[in-house]
Amino acid sequence: MSNSLRRLWRWVTWTWNPASEREASTAIVENLWLHWFPAKVDEKSFGWRYSLWLGAVSAFLFLILVVTGVLLMFFYVPSTERAYWSIKDIDYVVGFGWLLRNQHRWAAHLMVLVVFLHMLRVFFAGAYRAPRAANWLVGLALLLLTLLLSFTGYLLPWDQLAFWAVTVGTNIAKEVPFVGDGLRFVLLGGTEIGQSALVRFYVLHVVVLPVAVSVLFAYHMWRVRRDGGLAVTDPAAAPLPEPSPTAPVQGKTYSLFGVTPGTSLETRAARPQADDAAVASSPHLLRRLILVFLAVFTLTIILSLISGAPLEEAANPSVTPNPAKAPWYFLWLQELLAVTTIRLGGWTISGGFVGGILIPGVLLLAAAVWPFLDRSPLQTVGVWFPRERRLQNSVFALIALAIAILVLIGVLMRGPYWQLYWPWQAWPQLPSRL
Amino acid sequence: MATLLAVASVAAAAEPAVSGGDTMHRPFAANRDFWPLLIASIASLLAVLAVAYREYTPEWHHDQQAFRRDLLTRGAYAAAALVPNEVEQIWLPALDRVDRCISCHVNYDGSISTLSDLPALYQPHPDLPYMAKHPFPTFGCTACHGGQGYATDEAGAHGLVAHWDDPLLTTALAAQYGLTRAQLMEIKCNTCHRPDDTTPGMDLINMAKEIVAKKRCASCHGIEGGGGLGASDLTYDGDNNPELLDFSAVEGPKTALNWQIQHFASPQKIIKRSGMPNYRLNEEQAKALALLMLSWRRISFPPQYVPAARKRPAVVQPVVREVPAAPPATSPLAVQGRYVFENRGCNSCHRVGGGPLIGPDLAGVTQRRDDRWLATWLKDPAQVVAKDEKLQVWTHEYGDIIMPDQNLSDDDIKALIAYMKEFPA
Repeated sequence: MSNSLRRLWRWVTWTWNPASEREASTAIVENLWLHWFPAKVDEKSFGWRYSLWLGAVSAFLFLILVVTGVLLMFFYVPSTERAYWSIKDIDYVVGFGWLLRNQHRWAAHLMVLVVFLHMLRVFFAGAYRAPRAANWLVGLALLLLTLLLSFTGYLLPWDQLAFWAVTVGTNIAKEVPFVGDGLRFVLLGGTEIGQSALVRFYVLHVVVLPVAVSVLFAYHMWRVRRDGGLAVTDPAAAPLPEPSPTAPVQGKTYSLFGVTPGTSLETRAARPQADDAAVASSPHLLRRLILVFLAVFTLTIILSLISGAPLEEAANPSVTPNPAKAPWYFLWLQELLAVTTIRLGGWTISGGFVGGILIPGVLLLAAAVWPFLDRSPLQTVGVWFPRERRLQNSVFALIALAIAILVLIGVLMRGPYWQLYWPWQAWPQLPSRL
Repeated sequence: MATLLAVASVAAAAEPAVSGGDTMHRPFAANRDFWPLLIASIASLLAVLAVAYREYTPEWHHDQQAFRRDLLTRGAYAAAALVPNEVEQIWLPALDRVDRCISCHVNYDGSISTLSDLPALYQPHPDLPYMAKHPFPTFGCTACHGGQGYATDEAGAHGLVAHWDDPLLTTALAAQYGLTRAQLMEIKCNTCHRPDDTTPGMDLINMAKEIVAKKRCASCHGIEGGGGLGASDLTYDGDNNPELLDFSAVEGPKTALNWQIQHFASPQKIIKRSGMPNYRLNEEQAKALALLMLSWRRISFPPQYVPAARKRPAVVQPVVREVPAAPPATSPLAVQGRYVFENRGCNSCHRVGGGPLIGPDLAGVTQRRDDRWLATWLKDPAQVVAKDEKLQVWTHEYGDIIMPDQNLSDDDIKALIAYMKEFPA
């Protein structure tokens, strides 16, 4: 009895603890889910301070979104008659439905935020320089896909918030020169937001975009390995300790299969990394990934307990909520659009093009070509805020700050009739029926 | 699943991964993540427990338990066994409604207990005269009472939350307008009973329907595809966005109902220079009409819910026109008359010179009729028409619209006649 209890206890408290380096490597290589990690990782990539683990956080948020999203799909009905009421059912009577929806909502908001912060981190550390420029572009695409995923999900509850946020969003898309109207038509499946728009957004949200993100994410991860891991581990950024004369550093290459010989996929690190700085991914990397996952998971649950996903009145095309706002991550565009709209007497010059298309388009283009224009010394790659990159980092930070401020103004300070209110100021009470 | 994950991770963290320096080539600070992992594991476990607590202790569960306990202490064991332990609902696909009110109001139909001194929450619905025609399985709860049938917590179900514009019609809400709950609920009755001329029990709305017919609202307003084009279409007036109403002169709560009440009581006070005549409605009549307006909504019901066929209102020839300004007056009494003329909306139907509108051109009216006749006419037009066959023929030319009785005072009438005298034919 006591023996079997002890066996049970050992089974429950079993801890992975490889006996040899080979066993540790094999655990990674032979596992479908883990083989994309190298068998050994440079200790520097573990640091909290360098990467902030933002990439891992956004990947885990995506995982939470996929799991909660698939479960939500069992209950959600993408029709204009049923969508809103199926959300009410999810909130009120589906077992743990409120948790699924709240967690999905919070993870979605956080993912937009974290992916953006991840981009800031990569820029500030100059980690987008060749050979990582390609991955920077993939990252930009992932940022856009994340925004699109969140935006398409915004419409699905089919409430006033959804309907009008998407109205604002797709009206901004209309301002694209020449193809704007066509773009909006294709996106909505018509000229108005109705059943066809809902189905299109649904299919984009649950199939097309998640698959696209998954594919690009896989490529993103593969590129990280191929480009030599995190930039902080580059020898240029972190000089190697002098090799001891007794154990000369091999000119070895890491291949995809880590421990097996061969050169199927070589990394393109500037110099081969020393064994001295590397540790086995299993269990060290895995343990930390579990830690990050647990933290992200717990955070989304706590947020879901504190504050639920909003659900306004059922969508009503004839009643515009006051104010009607785009999703928060597009509010900086709406703010720019409102500011660049000029009224001269009875004439109105819409700021849609300048605020909605030109400014974000130029910013995006600049971000895409910057890795190829950056001439700062390579020694700064993988270092936060080096002196040599102070100017470009400051400009980038200022742009990010401006976007953040505009978003905050839009979220907190825009009240009825798009008037400015202080966050502590009460909005005038709008009339109701009864 | 999440619980298992959390438990497993606590267990995993519980045994510090002493990645043996002996076996591993290079130990990576084996214990470095031990405490963070332990804390994160416990935090996630607590979070999952909090989720479970919230999921398994809903308000309705508490209410059902309390009822069961209450019945047991009274010795009503058979009844206690009937108390459900789940979300109960009346599903009305025909009305596109789900009413989960009965998850807490479990004894709504008295099927569990008919004890007389039960707490209010568990008392059965009173057996009112119209209950036989409105059985629960066909009508549910919210169709009459308002509220959010989908919700399973009190605040949400009673619709006393943001973003639900159909709140439970409570005594307190009705009292804000000086109405009883039953009167306020007539709004709900009339969403189905709109086609009725009169409905037993709907006293205020019945009164309102009579006023609408008598005052011939349809000569200016479009109603259900008929009526005039001279004023707003009222067919779905209850659906109008309250934000589009001007509340600057409205006292009290900023609600569509309050706006309607005060507008009916005195149109020109709420909308300056409104073309709508001031019918001098008393408070009750204004409230009745306001309730009627709020009940006119675009809500469709399957045929079995709509009461028997009704009389269509008389088809009124629609009139399109702009409200002309009344010409200026000179003498002080005539100035007063002009004020009455505009303020009571006479100019909505009459011009002074320039030909007829809905009513005849009034230039030279004092030459055609003497003062005494005019005074009698203005006092009660309908009565004058009833006695005068010639006038009946003449009224026919004007689409059978009889001038509304404006409840004018003698001073008003004197002033109006003085004003008219300034405009000979």
